[in-house]
Amino acid sequence: MSTPAALNREFVLDALHEVIDPELGYNIVDLGLIYGLDVDSGVIKVTMTMTTPGCPAQDYILSGVYERGISLPGVRDVTIDVVWEPAWSPQKMTPLAKAHFGIQD
Amino acid sequence: MVTLANRVSRWTLPAFALALVNFLLAEALILAGLTWPARSVSAPGTLAAVHLLVIGWLLLLMLGALFQFVPVITARALASQRLALLTLLAIEAGLAAMVGGFLAIGRHPALALALPAGGTAVLLGVLLAIFNLGVPLFGARPLALPGRMVLSGLAFLLVTVALGLSFALAFTVPPLAPYLAVLLYAVGDHALAGLGGWFTLTAMGVSYKLLPMFMLAPEERGVAGECVHVLGAGGFALAVGAGLARVWVAAEALRVAQDSGYMAIAIAVMIYLWDIVRIYRTRKRALIEAHNRAAAGAFGFLGLAAALAIGFAATHRLGAGAPLIIFLVVFGWLGGLGLTQLYKIIPFLTWLTRYGSNLGRGAVPRVQDLVRERRSYPWFALYFLGVLLGAACVLAGHAGGLRPSLALVTLATVGLLIEYWRAWRGHYAHGRRDASAPPSFVSNQRG
Ligand code: HEM
Repeated sequence: MSTPAALNREFVLDALHEVIDPELGYNIVDLGLIYGLDVDSGVIKVTMTMTTPGCPAQDYILSGVYERGISLPGVRDVTIDVVWEPAWSPQKMTPLAKAHFGIQD
Repeated sequence: MVTLANRVSRWTLPAFALALVNFLLAEALILAGLTWPARSVSAPGTLAAVHLLVIGWLLLLMLGALFQFVPVITARALASQRLALLTLLAIEAGLAAMVGGFLAIGRHPALALALPAGGTAVLLGVLLAIFNLGVPLFGARPLALPGRMVLSGLAFLLVTVALGLSFALAFTVPPLAPYLAVLLYAVGDHALAGLGGWFTLTAMGVSYKLLPMFMLAPEERGVAGECVHVLGAGGFALAVGAGLARVWVAAEALRVAQDSGYMAIAIAVMIYLWDIVRIYRTRKRALIEAHNRAAAGAFGFLGLAAALAIGFAATHRLGAGAPLIIFLVVFGWLGGLGLTQLYKIIPFLTWLTRYGSNLGRGAVPRVQDLVRERRSYPWFALYFLGVLLGAACVLAGHAGGLRPSLALVTLATVGLLIEYWRAWRGHYAHGRRDASAPPSFVSNQRG
């Protein structure tokens, strides 16, 4: 899995599971913070949000996404677009994360 | 690539550390018997301890928190981090002079001048803080409820400090006494503007953002939130304004206005507490973390203080009951809220400063990994128990029981301090690593 040939959306998403929102203590993928992800000729383009605007951890989370992405074999660059629309809500979590936090649908 | 750390307030943790030291100093003064109830309410020792508590502990705590909080709610930076440091230095130095000045009143007239000098330094620190926080707040208009409540609170802070400074000048500069001494009748309004208009309104505003954020509850507080703000700010303004006017004008209408203000405040507190229950009830995060579990104690004391104040007012004993209300508000409500929320904010800021930059590069603890929640519960329980016992003693007419109760409170403060220190030092997070258990590595959290 470590050859550039494997560099696709799923592979990158899988790697981004290692980046957490420190306060909620859960990975940003299952929290539903990643709104869009494209991989094109070695460039990862992420569109994502934060649980709350102005979150003091924002820059660290962005840096975490960048660092995790750029460390993948074959990646030349990582660009991150932070958006606030649509606003994040706990409903955006995956069923797994919802179960972890005890959130009912 | 991404510039780091510009969202972390540099002087917030130092402000908290300083605040906690001042808190312990004040507790020591009380335990040493230099204050009310062992001495009179207006004894120099009492005034020194009261201001160590309200300026040294609560003001530094609140400003430190706002330096981090206001950028969060406005998504804008403070005017300057350096000004934040200047605020801390001016307030701490001013407070030290004030304490010296209080203790010198009536003994060393020249030294007592340290009181207005210290008050001036505190005023300067407060003005700098208002500018520093005002820039992001004004830039982010129209403000949501928490921001508007903070702005209202800051206005009351200014009134409080200005009044305090006038008292200080009346006490220590004889030529000014004929003009200012009359203001001393308004010492209750000074206390109400400070503990109510400033601290309580601001704490309410901050809690309206933080509680929903950490519990994943709806942030929109609707009509209830607006009522709390309008009735609260309006009530404090009316009560303090009419109270001040009564210093010069003995009009019945002013007394009615003052009472209406008290009533509005009481209603605002009731709506607020009801709304807080609503936040807990509508939260999406099933587990309530320790800081918010324990915060229930602080909310309880706010309710108790309000209920007792209403009772005292109804029986025309508000003056006699004031020391007890001040005790409940300072230790139970504001101090309790501060200690409980620090149990979250300190680990969070610790995470940002110590671990944040490792995110995406390797194992990183979660904020929760920096604390051991079950260790905190006995301390929180002991703290609130001590406050309750102390209040019960005073209410039952055994004011002497306050000091032993305060010993429990002090012990609990020290216990919590050790837990904060451990969070900051990574005691629990590192402990896990040493035990070679997987340090709650982020990828554990995967499906
Ligand atoms: C956040 C700011 C402040 C708060 C919450 C506050 C609160 C209080 C409270 C509760 C009392 C009544 C204490 C008692 O009767 O035992 C008091 C009295 C007093 N305060 Fe402040 N204070 C603040 C700032 C200041 C400042 C900056 C000064 C300036 C030196 C000051 C000077 C005084 C004086 C001289 C008294 C005694 C008045 C008297 O007994 O006649 N205060 N304050």
